[in-house]
Amino acid sequence: MNRAGLLAACTAMLRRDLTLAWRRRGDIAMPVLYALIVTMLFPFALGPEDTLLQRIAGGVVLVTVLLAMLLALDAMFSSDIEDGSLEQLVMAPQPLALMLGMKILAHWITTALPLIVIAPLMAAMLHLPGAVIPVLLLALLLATPLLSLLGAVLVALTAGTRRSGMLLALMLLPLCVPAVIFAAGAVAAAQQGLPWLAPISWLAAALVLAVVLAPLACAAALRIALDA
Amino acid sequence: MSNWIPLWLHKLGSPPTFYRFAGTLQPWAMTLALLLGAIALYGGLVLAPADYQQGDAYRIIFIHVPSAEMSMFIYAVMGVAAFIALVWRIKLAEVVAMESAPIGAAFTFITLITGSLWGKPMWGTWWTWDARLTSELVLLFLYLGVIGLYHAFEDRRQGARAAAFLAIIGIINVPIVHFSVNWWNTLHQGSTINVFGQSKMSWDMLWPLLTMMLATKFYYAASLFRRVRTDLLALEGGKDWVRKIAEDEAKS
Repeated sequence: MNRAGLLAACTAMLRRDLTLAWRRRGDIAMPVLYALIVTMLFPFALGPEDTLLQRIAGGVVLVTVLLAMLLALDAMFSSDIEDGSLEQLVMAPQPLALMLGMKILAHWITTALPLIVIAPLMAAMLHLPGAVIPVLLLALLLATPLLSLLGAVLVALTAGTRRSGMLLALMLLPLCVPAVIFAAGAVAAAQQGLPWLAPISWLAAALVLAVVLAPLACAAALRIALDA
Repeated sequence: MSNWIPLWLHKLGSPPTFYRFAGTLQPWAMTLALLLGAIALYGGLVLAPADYQQGDAYRIIFIHVPSAEMSMFIYAVMGVAAFIALVWRIKLAEVVAMESAPIGAAFTFITLITGSLWGKPMWGTWWTWDARLTSELVLLFLYLGVIGLYHAFEDRRQGARAAAFLAIIGIINVPIVHFSVNWWNTLHQGSTINVFGQSKMSWDMLWPLLTMMLATKFYYAASLFRRVRTDLLALEGGKDWVRKIAEDEAKS
């Protein structure tokens, strides 16, 4: 397999998944609406005081984005399993890990990116100071791919089971603890006027590790789940 | 090629041999566990002196610390068994990994419960978001995830392989979680027992603790053997050796 062939396969994979997502645009809007509504519930539950909302804003946005991504995660491979195209992908001559990496990228673009776009709105709803929002966006830009990659491995593991939604949450959420800690830590530090680069660097390091390992793990998990 | 692995170890990997082997060892391990556990409890609850600061409340460590150690020890055993199961596809390793998970989850649960019982009089709160407590809680969820994934599959061997993979992901993640949580917040006291060098604990208190640690190991072995034997019978239901056991049982 030469390099040009691989590149063509990667673009084809990415284009296919993005086209499929675009044909069902309504599905893209769902996580976004979910995140907005959950954010709206917090002031109702905790009371509308500015100082309290300001203090929890960063954490609420992060956890809400995480939960919204969790809801969308289930769909990452489900349609491909139903129509059998995932099995074709497993048997294809191109390296499975690379192809799955492209699928994860497409999934991140269609679910996480819209969430990041509306994150400033969510932050503003909770009165997060404008100066902190760039740090929040940076933290989200690093944390969401991490969640997509980790989530993809676990979705692949549950590919052979029915009704995997709650199980997925049980498996994924403990593994996300570091991502949440570092992302929220960076936002909290920025809010207090402290240096926030250290937690961001940790997030970036974790992301680099995940980009290398997660597609390989995802391929291995898929082979186990499909018994291929 | 693989001569360095003794023959008996190869044979031990086969279900019928392990079934007999575990059946022989299981009562001994259980007896030792009960005996050592009783000695350790007597030593810890009666013989050991009260702590000058914490009074008698510290005595919960004779349960708490051995359970905490077992919760991590069993996860390590599960991880190694999971690795063997995935790489060499040994059925016995799958069974050992999957049957370790509930025992480990139970020890983790005991650790959390005894910890919070101790925390109420000492820290004045049942629960606090301290680094070690949180790591232990995450460990419990990892165990539950492995158990849940194992039971989500209809085919048990496929479920075992998937859950084994999750256990290995967890093992990579546990140090990261522990480190990040440490960075986040810490209240729990540092460790008192030091394998290398002087322990910060009097021998009167130390020996019951070490005895209890040994007792929990034997309990784990006994419990694991029993569970693995049951599971092997279920998995190998149609095989000759199982049929023979069933016939012998029916005769007697």
